[in-house]
Amino acid sequence: MIRLITSRLLQLPLILAVVFTVTFVLAWIVPGDPLSRPDGRRPSPEIEAAMKRQYNLDNPWRFAGQYITNVATKGDFGPSLQYLDQRVGRMIAEGLPVSATVGGVAIAMALVIGVGVGVIGALRPGSVLDMAGLVVALIGVSLPTFVTGAILLMVFSVWLNWVNAGAWEHWTDVLLPALTLSLAPAAYIARLIRLGLADVMSSDFVRTARAKGLSDPQVLFRHALKVAFLPVLSFLGPAAAVTMTGSFVVERIFNLHGIGQHFVDAVKNKDQFLLLGVVLVYATMLIVFNLIVDVAYAWVDPRIEL
Amino acid sequence: MRRLLLLCCAAFLLFSLAFALRGEHGGDEKADFTFVSPDDHNFLDPQRMSWLHDLRVAECLYEPLVRFKLPELTVEPAAAAKWEVSPDGLTYTFHIRPEAQWSNGDPVTAGDFIHAWRRAIIPDMAADYSQLFFLIAGAEDFFHWRQEQLNFLQRARFASPGDLQRHIDKMWPDALDHFKETVGISSPDPGTLVVRLVRPTPYFLELTQFSAFAPVHAASVEKATSVRESVGVLETDATYWADPERLVTNGPYLLARRRFKNDLLMTQNPHYWNRAAMRNTSIREVFIADPNMAMLMYKQGRIDWLPEIPTASRLAADLVAQHRPDLVASPWAGTYFYDFNCLPTLEDGTVNPLADARVRRALSMAIDRKTIVERVTRLNQPVARSFIPPGSLPGYEPPVEDGADFKPEEAKRLLAEAGYADGSKLTGLSILFNTGQGHENVAQQIKRSWEEVLGVSVMLEGVEGKAFSQRLKTQHYTIARASWIGDYRDATTFLDKHASGNGNNDSKWASAEYDSLLHQASELTDPAQRLAALRKAESLLLREQPIAPIFHYITLQAYDPAKVEGLYPNIWNFRRLEFVRVK
Repeated sequence: MIRLITSRLLQLPLILAVVFTVTFVLAWIVPGDPLSRPDGRRPSPEIEAAMKRQYNLDNPWRFAGQYITNVATKGDFGPSLQYLDQRVGRMIAEGLPVSATVGGVAIAMALVIGVGVGVIGALRPGSVLDMAGLVVALIGVSLPTFVTGAILLMVFSVWLNWVNAGAWEHWTDVLLPALTLSLAPAAYIARLIRLGLADVMSSDFVRTARAKGLSDPQVLFRHALKVAFLPVLSFLGPAAAVTMTGSFVVERIFNLHGIGQHFVDAVKNKDQFLLLGVVLVYATMLIVFNLIVDVAYAWVDPRIEL
Repeated sequence: MRRLLLLCCAAFLLFSLAFALRGEHGGDEKADFTFVSPDDHNFLDPQRMSWLHDLRVAECLYEPLVRFKLPELTVEPAAAAKWEVSPDGLTYTFHIRPEAQWSNGDPVTAGDFIHAWRRAIIPDMAADYSQLFFLIAGAEDFFHWRQEQLNFLQRARFASPGDLQRHIDKMWPDALDHFKETVGISSPDPGTLVVRLVRPTPYFLELTQFSAFAPVHAASVEKATSVRESVGVLETDATYWADPERLVTNGPYLLARRRFKNDLLMTQNPHYWNRAAMRNTSIREVFIADPNMAMLMYKQGRIDWLPEIPTASRLAADLVAQHRPDLVASPWAGTYFYDFNCLPTLEDGTVNPLADARVRRALSMAIDRKTIVERVTRLNQPVARSFIPPGSLPGYEPPVEDGADFKPEEAKRLLAEAGYADGSKLTGLSILFNTGQGHENVAQQIKRSWEEVLGVSVMLEGVEGKAFSQRLKTQHYTIARASWIGDYRDATTFLDKHASGNGNNDSKWASAEYDSLLHQASELTDPAQRLAALRKAESLLLREQPIAPIFHYITLQAYDPAKVEGLYPNIWNFRRLEFVRVK
């Protein structure tokens, strides 16, 4: 296992270098001047040249060289080209805990809802509860977050007034955005568990366990669920990275200040420093989460050799 | 199974920890006055800012020489207690208020103004409004001198890195000496600022209330400023402007807290000379990108003022239709218009039909502007018959030429005269606009008008904002939507845009007569004659129609007039937030 962790960590800089190169080239060839504005005054050519020189936007090689040096030696991701008095590192450091909190709670909710619905479906296939679970799962997968988010906001914030709109003060403020984000992964987890359990429950070792006199819940929770959960575990790695790095739509609907909005803003504003910063953070998180899942996989099921 | 449970518990603990450490986002304490901005600030450096929401906060943090008194819109003393203008109108002597202090207790001096204005002039800072300072004697020459000083460094070859560094070390002290010797800004004593202008400029006094002319605390800004290695450019650490610990201000407020994309809190500057007159002691600005969410928070009573409900949003039209008493629509000194590319040939080398003024006039006359403001934007903005919004400039009544009126028959006649009796022969035209701001709806309506009235078929081209401005700048378009908001109360803030050499002249219309009228106006000292020359220039602009004005902007604000006092909406969006009181 130590070999796996070491080799993955050694691969990390290489993968990040590839991600950086691709993102950098794409960001550079997209048309448009990062410092221009559709409705703004256009400064004189001398001023424009000075601004470009200030941020190395006049020379891609110098930009890349300076950027890599600053990130590697100082951990400095540079300034934002849209919010000129902000550093990208600070923007990510302030936004990531918010996105991670919402994403983390969303994954926890997705697990509870998904495993619950999946287990009921597997134990009582064809029952009313199973059908209801499947319908919920279908809705969760089909409805985009901007619809579910808006509906939840209308119901719980506007009509019932149970939670504040657009606030980030109380622990309850995390619930609606997390629930919105959790529905799609919950639906997917429910399907994985239901299918996995249906398969496992008819396998030989379950039959043996039953023959030994174990009750259905004992068989389910002691033996079957562990096996059926393994595909969920592989899904959780990328899913956690995606949800914990924020969602533009959910953050905008609930006025959260996470890093999800930075992805879209960076592309929209051609903010190359911010774009590179968030993409590198996202790539790192994806790699790290996948590594954690692989390690957890072996830990949960010792038969798996890494 | 136990391991699985342990794993779940570990994950739960991790998330709990993340929630506990969720940054500085907790705390939503109430300020005396709370308002919303659609986005966080682009820059709080007063010399470099140009966005409306940046300027709104700068007005709270920095006090320039003079301010506008509301609601009268007359100039009143601010950091300067009084001033004198020489009889030839060329020299302004400002006497800095002796009791004016920075938020750290230091006195405000003429040196702080000189430091700030020098920052605005030098090309190093890349300030959007540096050209406004070219009214000051020697400023433009100094700008180019400094530019050449920096350019030389790029060209020159030095024998060793040591030589290069010695040269760089000498550059800025040389520049300071040159500035002192050549630029018409001086201070005989710390309380007196003397400014010498290139020519008499009737609007100069009003111009000094603009944020670019606000002072900065020279000592702390200098501390945050350094010369960039190998290129010799002077740079101020941009984080200084966002850091409550370091930022020193001379306005009614100081920066108490800045949470990126979350909120900004300003509290009363304990050293502000006029704090006894202030009607609140703290202001909180909350950043909310979604106008619907902003409205929801306003309805829940957590926001006192929505200063700019995006007029392109559906929400704006719906609110106007509801005739809410707390919705205040007021004219704004800006115009929404269409640019016609006036270059003789297009990019592909073909003859540009829009180079003919008759074609431009025909297209403009075929636009039914009333339908646009009533049915498309649904905000009933004033239909534009001139480029300068009527009532925006004291003493100036914009001319009205028939080019901006809806005259289908006259439009057809003009197009036929230009050789396009059959409108379908006029091809290759497209309307360029940036997406996501409601411009597409206006473009659709104009396209329909041109097809119905003239039989001219045009394409619609929606592109994202950055690509749009790039194409506008390089004339990679035939017709494009555009807008212009005035910066200061003089006709030149609008008319200079269309001068042939102006970098913002996107139509590339070049008229020697127009340029000459603007030049003539700049030489005239009699205010009435000057305004007459400027009016003549606008009249020519409207006859030649390098642009088709569509409507004048309005601002939509929401606040309860019975609860919030002292906002005084006005066409120039001037505010004095220190005098706002929430009952």
